[in-house]
Amino acid sequence: MINTSTFLCILRRSTVAGAVVAAAVVVGPASANKDPVTPKQLKLYQEAFMEEVRKGDLLFHGDAAMAEQLGVKLSTTGWACAMCHPMASDTHPHAFPKFQQSMAKFATLRDMINWCIEKPNQGEKIDPESEAMKALEAYITWSNTGSVLVPGKY
Amino acid sequence: MSDELDRIRREMHAVLQPPGVRPDDSLQITRRTFIHRSLLFGAASVGQTFAWWPLLNTIDVAHAAEAPFKFAWISDTHLYERSLNTRFVDKVVRAVQEVQAMDPPADFLIFGGDLAQLGKIEELELGVELLKDLKIKKYYIPGEHDWYLDMGKKWGELFGQPNWTFDHKGVRFIGLDTVSRGPDYWTAKKMTPEERMGHMATLDGTVAGAWAGVGREQLDWMQKTLAEWDKSKPIVIFSHNPLYEYYPPWNFWVRDWREVNDVLKPYTKVTNIHGHVHQVLYNEIGSMRSIGMLATSWPWPYAPEGVPKLTKPMIRVDPGDPFDGVGWETVNVNADDKVDVEYIMWGRKEVFVRSPEDHDKSIEEVIQPRIADRQYPWENP
Repeated sequence: MINTSTFLCILRRSTVAGAVVAAAVVVGPASANKDPVTPKQLKLYQEAFMEEVRKGDLLFHGDAAMAEQLGVKLSTTGWACAMCHPMASDTHPHAFPKFQQSMAKFATLRDMINWCIEKPNQGEKIDPESEAMKALEAYITWSNTGSVLVPGKY
Repeated sequence: MSDELDRIRREMHAVLQPPGVRPDDSLQITRRTFIHRSLLFGAASVGQTFAWWPLLNTIDVAHAAEAPFKFAWISDTHLYERSLNTRFVDKVVRAVQEVQAMDPPADFLIFGGDLAQLGKIEELELGVELLKDLKIKKYYIPGEHDWYLDMGKKWGELFGQPNWTFDHKGVRFIGLDTVSRGPDYWTAKKMTPEERMGHMATLDGTVAGAWAGVGREQLDWMQKTLAEWDKSKPIVIFSHNPLYEYYPPWNFWVRDWREVNDVLKPYTKVTNIHGHVHQVLYNEIGSMRSIGMLATSWPWPYAPEGVPKLTKPMIRVDPGDPFDGVGWETVNVNADDKVDVEYIMWGRKEVFVRSPEDHDKSIEEVIQPRIADRQYPWENP
């Protein structure tokens, strides 16, 4: 015997499941995320990530060729991110988003990256959606692998 | 702390701190020390957290001064060419003006290395030009940034022998070269001088390896230099790198600290003053006290692990203020035979943390070593 609340629950689940299937049909190939992941796929995903980490590492350490390749000017003073943040220490990606005293606003890691580019480095702010920003974010977060999330912590 | 670092720390402790061994304990209290003590009593929990003992600034060099005197320390200016970076120039100018204005004047200046950022002739000559306005006697030791473009050629032309000794009013001073004996990481990979310098200039790089060391022949020289010196008389040793092990991945150490300790073991009042770390630092190793100095250029964060427990940490700095967290030091040898190191940190009056939140390690972090310099371009020749 099915009571009213159980019936509503089943209905909700059916609706959600239907929406997910529909989304997969609309936005991706029909087979996406249906098959068990293969070691080959995992390797590709990891390589795609580490390639961004590598690019971000080079940007973070002031590599001129990588900055040129990605069309950014992160510094005009010779200063690079790594000069205050060796091994991306003291960047605290696990503490964002938070109120950032230096900007006097609630900020994301991307906001903070741009602040450092503009202020200490005296470079040119970059598009938050650019590859350079994503690469910097990849490098900074990868460098802090294992740090425990403490969002909002000063 | 990693298992490996923990093992090394235990070994260092066993080698250097057998029961009863520590620097001469006739530490005397000065005005500055009283200030720290009052903080300690006012904030016992903070004191426990950061192990505020012994107190940072006052180093006893009993029976030292035949007359009171002061000297000054400036280091880690990391000058680029003037056209590229004027902020670093401004800070050297300020330090020079302030040292010059000391009253009574400093007897001499120690420049503790890393005058230049990339070892260029123009950078080193800019440093000489800026320091020329300082009229007192100057002594220089090299930093790795000064050295690895031309392997110390220009530095030697400007400043002479990188290690030296002199006596002043009852204290024996020794300057060491801890930078020039790096392992050859460049020949096999056919690096240009600029590439060699680039790896050396990257604190968190992995290519240059464990470059900081004193070396056997310099240790022999130091032993000879100290052979006739009374074991209970004070010795002050200047080095770019700390003479103990703090954090090897950033060369916050010398790799032959065991041998250094062997040479210094018989002497009871040894003070090591060092640069390179760009931060307030204090440690005791065997019978030696070790004090880290500020840079004029920028502050390094404390290393992810290995900060000596005896260090009362400096305050977390404001990254928006180029003059915060940096500065220079006076070292005051008093009439009653004490040495007092004073940090002149621009940008704020209170140098030390007052609460855990003011420490740059208040947010715990787990940090991975750099990766790109292990992959590029060396794997794709």
